[in-house]
Amino acid sequence: MEMITALVYIAIFPGFFFLAVYGTALQWADRKICAVMQNRVGPPWYQTLADFIKLASKEVIIPDGADVKMFKALPYIAVAAVITAMLFIPITSSPIYSFQGDMIAVVYLLTIPTATFFLAGWSSTSPYASFGSMRVMTQLFGYEVPMLLSLVGPAILAGSWSIYDISAYFSTNPKMLFFQIIGFIVSLLSVQGKLERVPFDTPHAKNEIVGGQFTEYSGILLGLFNLSIDMEMVVCAALINAIFLGGSWQLGGWASIVLFLIKTFAIVFLFTAIKAMMARVRIDQMVKFCWKYLAPLAMIQIIVDICLKYTLLK
Amino acid sequence: MAKITIPLGPQHPALKEPENFMLVLDGEQICDATVNLGYNHRGIEKAAENRNYIQDIYLLERICGICSHSHVSCYIGCVEEIAKVEVPQRAKAIRTLVAELERIHSHLLWLGVAAYEMGFETMFMYTWRDREQVLDCLEMLSGNRVHYGINTLGGVRRDINAQQAKEIIKKINYLEERTKYYVNLATEEPTVLARTQNVGKLPYKVALERNALGPTARASGVKMDVRKQEPYFIYDKLDFEMITYDSEDVFGRVVVRVLELVESYKIIKQVLSALPEGAISVKVPWKIPAGESVFRYEAPRGEDIHYVKSNGSEIPERVKVRAPTLSNFQSIPYMLKGDYLADVPITIAAIDPCMSCTDRAVVYDAKNGKTRTFDWEELRKYSIEFYKKKGVNFSTK
Amino acid sequence: MSETLKEEELKKELENKFAGSIYEIQIARKNRMWISVNPQDALRLMSFLKEKGYFHLSTITGFDEGENLGAIYHITDYYTIVNVRVRTPKTSPSLKTVRDIYPVCESFERELEDLFGIKIEGLPEGRNYPLPEGFPKGVHPLRKEVKLDELVKQLDSQKEGK
Repeated sequence: MEMITALVYIAIFPGFFFLAVYGTALQWADRKICAVMQNRVGPPWYQTLADFIKLASKEVIIPDGADVKMFKALPYIAVAAVITAMLFIPITSSPIYSFQGDMIAVVYLLTIPTATFFLAGWSSTSPYASFGSMRVMTQLFGYEVPMLLSLVGPAILAGSWSIYDISAYFSTNPKMLFFQIIGFIVSLLSVQGKLERVPFDTPHAKNEIVGGQFTEYSGILLGLFNLSIDMEMVVCAALINAIFLGGSWQLGGWASIVLFLIKTFAIVFLFTAIKAMMARVRIDQMVKFCWKYLAPLAMIQIIVDICLKYTLLK
Repeated sequence: MAKITIPLGPQHPALKEPENFMLVLDGEQICDATVNLGYNHRGIEKAAENRNYIQDIYLLERICGICSHSHVSCYIGCVEEIAKVEVPQRAKAIRTLVAELERIHSHLLWLGVAAYEMGFETMFMYTWRDREQVLDCLEMLSGNRVHYGINTLGGVRRDINAQQAKEIIKKINYLEERTKYYVNLATEEPTVLARTQNVGKLPYKVALERNALGPTARASGVKMDVRKQEPYFIYDKLDFEMITYDSEDVFGRVVVRVLELVESYKIIKQVLSALPEGAISVKVPWKIPAGESVFRYEAPRGEDIHYVKSNGSEIPERVKVRAPTLSNFQSIPYMLKGDYLADVPITIAAIDPCMSCTDRAVVYDAKNGKTRTFDWEELRKYSIEFYKKKGVNFSTK
Repeated sequence: MSETLKEEELKKELENKFAGSIYEIQIARKNRMWISVNPQDALRLMSFLKEKGYFHLSTITGFDEGENLGAIYHITDYYTIVNVRVRTPKTSPSLKTVRDIYPVCESFERELEDLFGIKIEGLPEGRNYPLPEGFPKGVHPLRKEVKLDELVKQLDSQKEGK
């Protein structure tokens, strides 16, 4: 019985099926909103689905000299890692699995897709793809630290390393959320780096290195990579929601799911606004920006939280 | 790390037309760059030697989709000089008007392309939306959006009426408002500044040495603008500034182009407020007397030069076209050296390259294309039949 | 006559300095000068022009006059264009490169080589420009004896042969 419930969690909710459907829906929303902001019509609602089906029906071409097994396995690993991360994030009142320190686990599970992107580029033996994967890695060192630091502040305040505990803490102390605004902004921007979106989409900047790390990918493998990025967007939005916006507010049941959808949609709206407002920066500028501004800001957030915890709240 | 050579083109998302750059990279930094051209060679110069002067107007218009008026005006300037034709003032004014509308159209298009190369898609969409306004003006004036076909030997083919002038002024006023917004965007948006400042450096001396032209040269502080140095049409009677900027980088090229937009609006308003009365064209003989001439013209991308030699018949002996891009390309390897891979698209875009202009000259003409073969007579008959069906009869014999 | 003062001065100077080598010199109008010069003295003339401030080589136009091939160098100081015409016999057409004086001439000179078949001495080996790689050897499309129909036929048969 336990086996079957676990399978349902992984395959349907909140696992593969939910993430795939909501991820593609959010991608469509992202594209449509961006289009409206840019004065365009934008894609119809079924566009993302059609894209996936089209890619799935195409032939997979594997370049000469590529490590075939790795080349084929990488997209599945990326999708699997993202689904696993989602299991630790609360949607209704409590997550499927939870333990002290699952926040760190989630951050590291979210790093696995990035690592697969790097390996994907590296194993496809194309100069464009190698440049893409080099940039993926460089960028990882840029945003990873600010992102983790921005999550540390709320954790200190809540006195727990569990995502569920943190969101429960903020549900009971909603006033404290106002002090997390710096951390919220830092996490929003560094997640743009993680999701490789404008202004930090250098790894697959098409004007410079064609398709970046995915240049040699085609067919269902590329479709799965795209899907994993869509899913990652949901997971990141859910993570920000749980940590900075108080998660489900202890509502439980359908109300909490609706609240989850509304809040993650709002976060994706912010992602879209950032995308529409900016130009792409260079990789060196991106790393500089992350270390010069985002990391110190996250540190300030931590100091604020420590002060709050040990002075005001005493 | 070992140095890697990567090809950029002939097919590459950053390039709008086929050309090829071989970049030698040390990590992300460029050590060396070579430019290979010639992928877009269509044989227009040879084709021009096989057609008469009037047909050549329409042939040369098709050198380029953006500076179509520039090439034709330049060619016509040569022919009119050889034939010693005095073009009526009103025709000159209309040519100036179309030329400036074309400059606006080209610069707005460039602004969009540059934004796109920086990954700033919103600005790309905005500028191209606004560009529709000026395309509407051109369509209203000439009936066409891109190949206007307004020039003819001895004048222009279509007159402009008061209603049209009013409409153009209205659209220009709108564009003026929008341009203020672009000036702010281009000079204040931090990511745009980060991508353009100190990128693609071209010092004053190198710009002179390497034949930089047009906005590329003016952004390096070179004072050159054919409209000022050798005024053609009615530019000597107009009040406008030559825009130069001395930052010597891509940012300067953006600023120069955006400010030139403002100057073009000024020019158009002046032309429309004092449009001379009179005929719009004079008759030019079918056969042009023997002679030769060189004409310079300030196209949106820089100085365009045509050389025409006539031998007394109705077919030119030689037509030579030198588009500004060919000259500007000499600076690209210099600008790329030492920059990052990420700067390549915007640096190349900053000279506003137009490959179809550059590679113009020989051999395969569309008339001999595989799908349908017309010779001149057939084509003429076909067009007459086509219009007869629509109820228009041109054969007045 | 004051309009063409600058050109008159240059003309006088050139006539003194290059008396034997210039065989035609005229001022067509303000800002336009046409000079015909012997090929062996062309380089000397051009370096003199550069010293005089005519630093910008706009382009090089090739031409075919039947017996002679040749090139016109359009040299300018942004105001006045000096058109230097150099002729070379069609039987063995050859010109010296002007790279040392005007380093930008490379693509213009490659055009002369490809389209007119004028051998440029001193130009380093390089890629074809602007003709494509598979273009028939020895055919120089802008020469007058090359007829368009025949060339198209030749190219078509080449394409079918592949």
